[in-house]
Amino acid sequence: MKASTLRWLIVSILIALWEILPRAGLIPELFLPPLSVTLIAGFADAGEYGQALLVTLYEVGLSMLFACGGGILLGAVIGSLPRPRVLIMPMVSSLYAVPLVILYPVFTVWLGIGPESKIAFASIYGFLPTMLATAAGIQTIDPQLLLAARSMGATLSQRLVRVILPAAIPTVLSGLRVGGALVIVGVVVSEMLISSAGIGYLISRYRTILDSPHVFAGVLLVLAMAVAFNAAIRWIERKCAIWQTGTRGAQAAADDISGAIQPAT
Amino acid sequence: MQPLANVTPLRPAQRAGAIEIRDVGQVFRTAGAEVVALSQVSLEIKPGRFVVLVGPSGCGKSTLLMMLAGLREPTSGSILINGTPITKPDPDRVGVVFQEASLFPWLTAEENVEFPLALRGIAKAERRAKAEEALKLVGLEGFGKRHPHELSGGMKQRVSIARGLVQDPPVLLMDEPFAALDEQTRMTMGDELLRIWAATGKTIVFVTHSLTEAVYLADEVVVMSARPGRIVDHLQVSLPRPRTYEMLSGDVFGSLRDRIWRHIRKSA
Repeated sequence: MKASTLRWLIVSILIALWEILPRAGLIPELFLPPLSVTLIAGFADAGEYGQALLVTLYEVGLSMLFACGGGILLGAVIGSLPRPRVLIMPMVSSLYAVPLVILYPVFTVWLGIGPESKIAFASIYGFLPTMLATAAGIQTIDPQLLLAARSMGATLSQRLVRVILPAAIPTVLSGLRVGGALVIVGVVVSEMLISSAGIGYLISRYRTILDSPHVFAGVLLVLAMAVAFNAAIRWIERKCAIWQTGTRGAQAAADDISGAIQPAT
Repeated sequence: MQPLANVTPLRPAQRAGAIEIRDVGQVFRTAGAEVVALSQVSLEIKPGRFVVLVGPSGCGKSTLLMMLAGLREPTSGSILINGTPITKPDPDRVGVVFQEASLFPWLTAEENVEFPLALRGIAKAERRAKAEEALKLVGLEGFGKRHPHELSGGMKQRVSIARGLVQDPPVLLMDEPFAALDEQTRMTMGDELLRIWAATGKTIVFVTHSLTEAVYLADEVVVMSARPGRIVDHLQVSLPRPRTYEMLSGDVFGSLRDRIWRHIRKSA
């Protein structure tokens, strides 16, 4: 059996179990309501969920922009300049190991409980891995490639556009994958902690009144968001990184990053 | 290996590609210390010659090549190519072929060959035509659409050579181009290079660690010593062309290789 067929089979079985196990009484409905009940609860309050989704998407979108834009920009600068790299990289790496979520209450003190505090928190949360990956991607470019370009008369800007950027793409993308996922985590978690709107807030509120179907309807939405994000990254990867299989160096670097960078929630 | 019987070398009397190295020195400054990489190197290379630089590690032969490519400025002395000094990379005068893995992995073979032309804003159609011609010259017709990871080590080096030749510079510099290849591929590539050289009449300056490769390919072998890098011998290889595999075991070949080896053993 092909791996993809097998994957679909496993997902289908899990979905079926979600429906069957609670219905058969093997799992109490409070712990896990059947899928159909969850979906019905969600659709019954579609307006409320839609509104919450818009808030969350707005926060995720802006955070994504800050985290990825800032991460790539700063990572490129730090990766190409040796002195700041030696100075900053160890600090950023250790900062990354700190569970930043402990700082979230402080963010609400500074920025209030509206979208601003979520955007600020999630931006920083997703910024770190994107920056680390980009810096690593720039740093691991084979100097021989730059030398070859120079021997052919490439100017500095030509080297940047035609060599450094394409060479860094695989590692940057793997950083984006982790950074983007962390942005979603950051937004939803901060909504669940202290807020008045968004999917995370809905999940948290329905949990306090023990309304499991509505809790799981929210969970499904977050799940869908994460899957959609992953699909988007995959699409970009296929578009512009066909050469990834070609260089073992770049591949190893990419693996390193995604292996070493784990969320510190 | 087949002798290259069907190739007539092109040797016009007057042609660009003369190299003059005058009293060139190179000093590296590292953390307070000064390292003299090259000292008082003078060398004259006539157009169309195949010159091989050999020497122990650290003798500055790659540094000398980088200076010929305009990638590094001499601390003292001057280098003239076609009679004018070279101070920065000039792809019109000098093409460079590096060791393996200097192809851009995200570009196809033909895009790699077109790269230097694209840098100068040459139109797509003209670029493609020139790249095809260069790929044909190195025996890679029909492989233009492949990415480097889909090519063997020898084929990758052929693409590199095509890239070095695509702007038709009179001088081709090669920095240990076959070092990463296995012995058999290396021998085949040597013959291929001689064929390409005979067909194009370029001046070739070739750096290698292999003494056999040096004598087999060269018109002249320049032997360098380490710290500071100097030229200790400059020998003419009188073996007739085309070179053949049988020559490797001949007396002339053996004595030339021994002479180079004695220099290297002394200075290493």
